[in-house]
Amino acid sequence: MNWNLPEWFVVTLARTISDREVVFHGFGSPCAQVAMHVARRTHAPNMLLIEGAMYAVNPAPPFVPPTSNDQALKYGAAYSMRFEEFFDAACRGEVDRMFLSGGQIDPYGNTNVTAIGPMNRPKVKLGGGGGGCNISATIRHLTLWTTRHRSGRTLVQECDFITDVGHRTPAGSRVDLGYTGGGPAHLVTELGVFDYGDVGRARLVQIFPDVTLDEVERSTGFELQVSPDLGTVPEPTEEELEIVRAVDPLAVHASEFDPSELDRTFTSEPAIA
Amino acid sequence: MFVDHDKVGDLPSAAARVSDGDMVALGGGLSARLPMALVRELVRLGRQDLHLVGSAHGMDVDLLVAAGAVAVCEESYVGFEQDLGLAPSYRRAAEAGQLEIRETCCVTILTQLRAAQMGLPFLPVRGVKGTDIRRMHPDYAEIVCPFTGETLVAVPPLEPDVALIHAPMGDRVGNLHLEQPYVLDEHFARAARQVVATVDRLATTEEVVATGVTIPGHRVSVVVEVPFGAHPTSCYPGYAYDRQHLAAYVAAAGQAQTAQDYLAEWVTRPGGEDAYRAALDQDRLDRLMSWSDTIEEWKELFV
Repeated sequence: MNWNLPEWFVVTLARTISDREVVFHGFGSPCAQVAMHVARRTHAPNMLLIEGAMYAVNPAPPFVPPTSNDQALKYGAAYSMRFEEFFDAACRGEVDRMFLSGGQIDPYGNTNVTAIGPMNRPKVKLGGGGGGCNISATIRHLTLWTTRHRSGRTLVQECDFITDVGHRTPAGSRVDLGYTGGGPAHLVTELGVFDYGDVGRARLVQIFPDVTLDEVERSTGFELQVSPDLGTVPEPTEEELEIVRAVDPLAVHASEFDPSELDRTFTSEPAIA
Repeated sequence: MFVDHDKVGDLPSAAARVSDGDMVALGGGLSARLPMALVRELVRLGRQDLHLVGSAHGMDVDLLVAAGAVAVCEESYVGFEQDLGLAPSYRRAAEAGQLEIRETCCVTILTQLRAAQMGLPFLPVRGVKGTDIRRMHPDYAEIVCPFTGETLVAVPPLEPDVALIHAPMGDRVGNLHLEQPYVLDEHFARAARQVVATVDRLATTEEVVATGVTIPGHRVSVVVEVPFGAHPTSCYPGYAYDRQHLAAYVAAAGQAQTAQDYLAEWVTRPGGEDAYRAALDQDRLDRLMSWSDTIEEWKELFV
């Protein structure tokens, strides 16, 4: 059995979902999107899957298109929520999990999707955060992800701009801010997996087997904390891999990665020379 | 409200209802059902200093910025997702300090539109507090809830001067049928001072009613039939998005000069919107329209 890093990454995201959760991904998030379908078809058959910008409930898309407002994404859904119907549910605390990414992510899980550099003259104006500035406060759990950890510019000590809230901002903790959601539970990167421990700060708990701790440390812009139980990211099953490929035949999820990451391939049997 | 029985107009005079400096709400979202024919017409009219508002947008905002029509951008996102990346003209103008960015959040703008619809001076939101979006907005404030004592962010009503909405079908009264996602279009229609609508096809009232009225005619001030009025974005059930055209636009928009070349070739060339449509590859349009024939053909449109 062979697989590549993007496939493994998607399966790892999928495993952050529990059965019976109400789960949402934002637009421009094909890794999270495919992961939700993998979870629903494997260990979380009773989750409520709310599909990106279509707000379609439990659809069965025949493929994942490279844009999130496409009708392919409501294919097979009995119902699609209205915009306000989804966001009201998210603000009210009825959504259990959302996937969030960022151009910068700090140790507390705050994310920046607005701008790198000063806001009046940014070095890079990023796209913006969609609904995250409100619903990151109220959704029960957040799974963060980035495919750009290795760049060294993504995991930073301090975000240039906080668009979406993690466990604490300079203005205070989630409790201080009156935020009803639990904040980031995991951060999955192309190098490994972090949790947020008891104190709401990123802590490396798993690492991909072709990555060294030194590489992770060099790529991380804040002091790397490592769990005493650091392990290897569990391998995907054959079933999970088949579902990744069936859900996303155009491999849109792979477009989130730097091309060099696509060369990372793995096999569950020792290679025979 | 707009009580006329026949609101059919032409594209130049419909777009001319937008004045320089207006707050303009953009219907649709990302690369779906953006009011592109109206956007192109605003460029042809040379409109300036617009304050654009919307949720998650793409080529509509980028094209208007490239044309120098925009002073303020107030969206929750502007870009082309992971596929085609950041919005080049928007990015260039923001980085040069030529554009006032008042980035918002889908929930905040929805709440502001609701306040306008309800005739209220503000409504609170749960989030935003502690983020830099809050610091970017001196127009927001804090309020203490009289019941719970919580401090919440209060946001003012948002009442666009004009909402630009494209629909696959509508009648002469301005009754519009939309396919989901409606995004903020229904809210824009209720909160804006007027709605300027384009439809791919004018139909009888009976047909629009049978298909379902999403936005009622009494909210619409003018309706214009513009086939492929959302191109190169999608307008289901009519056509999928034209990924090739969008990719070519994003490539052109990457440099200021080639962005101007795109505008000259596709937007400001003589002949207006008819010339735009005539310049499109008919075989390509046929394929975009036949998305529903087979899953395989639909999928191929995205490669």
